[in-house]
Amino acid sequence: MLRKLIKHEFRATGRVMLPLFLVLLVTSVGANFSARGMLDTRYKVLDVLGSLLVMAFAIAIFGVCVMSVVLMVQRFYKNLLQDEGYVMMTLPVSVHQHIWSKLIVSAVWFALTIVVVCLAACIVAFDVGFVQELIQGFRELFRELSQYLNAYYAINGTVIILEFLAICFVGCCVMCLQFYAALAMGHSSPNHKMAWSVLWFFALQFATQLLAGSLLALLDESWLHHLLLAWTEGWHLSGTAATQLMMLIVILGEVLYGAVYYFLTTWFLKKRLNLE
Amino acid sequence: MAILTCKGLSKRFGGTQALDQVDITIEPGRIVGLLGPNGSGKTTLIKLANGLLTPSEGEIRICGLVPGKESHACVSYLPERTAIPTWMSVTQLLDFYQDFYADFRRDAAEEMLAHLNIPPKQRIKQMSKGTREKVQLIMVMSRSAKLYLLDEPIGGVDPATRDYILSTIIGNYNPDAAVVISTHLIADVEKVLDDVVFINQGRIMLQASVDQIREEKGMSVDALFREVFKC
Repeated sequence: MLRKLIKHEFRATGRVMLPLFLVLLVTSVGANFSARGMLDTRYKVLDVLGSLLVMAFAIAIFGVCVMSVVLMVQRFYKNLLQDEGYVMMTLPVSVHQHIWSKLIVSAVWFALTIVVVCLAACIVAFDVGFVQELIQGFRELFRELSQYLNAYYAINGTVIILEFLAICFVGCCVMCLQFYAALAMGHSSPNHKMAWSVLWFFALQFATQLLAGSLLALLDESWLHHLLLAWTEGWHLSGTAATQLMMLIVILGEVLYGAVYYFLTTWFLKKRLNLE
Repeated sequence: MAILTCKGLSKRFGGTQALDQVDITIEPGRIVGLLGPNGSGKTTLIKLANGLLTPSEGEIRICGLVPGKESHACVSYLPERTAIPTWMSVTQLLDFYQDFYADFRRDAAEEMLAHLNIPPKQRIKQMSKGTREKVQLIMVMSRSAKLYLLDEPIGGVDPATRDYILSTIIGNYNPDAAVVISTHLIADVEKVLDDVVFINQGRIMLQASVDQIREEKGMSVDALFREVFKC
């Protein structure tokens, strides 16, 4: 059933995201033409047109990024908590499957948005003089660096980049879950459901920051600080190992926050659902 | 085995008692009218049966199951409002129901849609309110469910559409199933009912068969309803 939910979720979201991706790619071609000559022309009309094309490209990038987030929130709200909820919440599927389908599809659109934006940037940069020079400069920089790099740094560097990407990806999923939790909690109220949802979102944000801040404060000259020092006594971590450990702790922390939001969302949808 | 049973079922919303110690048993093969004035608790009872609300006290079971993922597979539910996704075309909606319900009879749905001259490519949002309600009813009645829960199926539609809706219900429900029709428009549904449940202020006032009412009280269900709920 999860597979079917995902299929219909892609159907519902694809009709918005795919045309937007197409618009972004078309505007990137326009921006490329503009960068390759229209802006330097002596004809005023072409100059203005070139500027407009670059502006359209910038707006398209902004639109695609914003829309992927808006769509993620809007699908959860409209599909599960508004009128469509009467159909969706009476399907022979569990609340967990509903949330996972929304989460997976949103995460795929986030990832695709990054890919398409990068692709659009490549299209804009294609055969443009100064960009070619910039790329050449980077190539030389990497060639110089590679002389001093050995396999240890190459592998660790790649792992750190992958961990950084994992942090970003898990962070996006946690952001989705925070929106879902706030909406589920707000919509359990009898009145002013959206106002309550906004309030809950900021309350969750505040609680998260308070907790993270308190944890950081505890790490500085406190019982936790001494406990960790005693625990890690005898450890001899290199700089890269310590960085990787730190990144893993951050990912773990994100997963933990995500789990709390996930629990809140499922609990409120199961026990406190209150469709109008 | 009873298809729907409620034992001491209560639901409170803050200080408001929406349902109070409701005991009902609905057997298969019966068309039951859940009758009561506005705000009497009809929709709350149907929402509880669908797992859209959780009881404050007591229990409700559908085919012996607590409302949830498993019970949803044997219940066909028509909400009081149009809830089908409006961005879908008719074909996409048929795909959707076919994907999720093993008992969905696509050929029956397509036949009913063709009878109403609804093009398969048409999007739900391009339809009038009345047509949307008919499409939603067709989807609900095209399932071979064990229990049909129809919340105000004839509320807010013209008399011709009312006749169409009632004939669709009678002509398409699974004869081994139970049908619960919630309404306050008694005169229109009386002719199709086997049993009635009168509900007021969250309490069951009466549960009897239509024949029993006619024989014992010597009046129609509509007349009895007017007498019981006289203001």
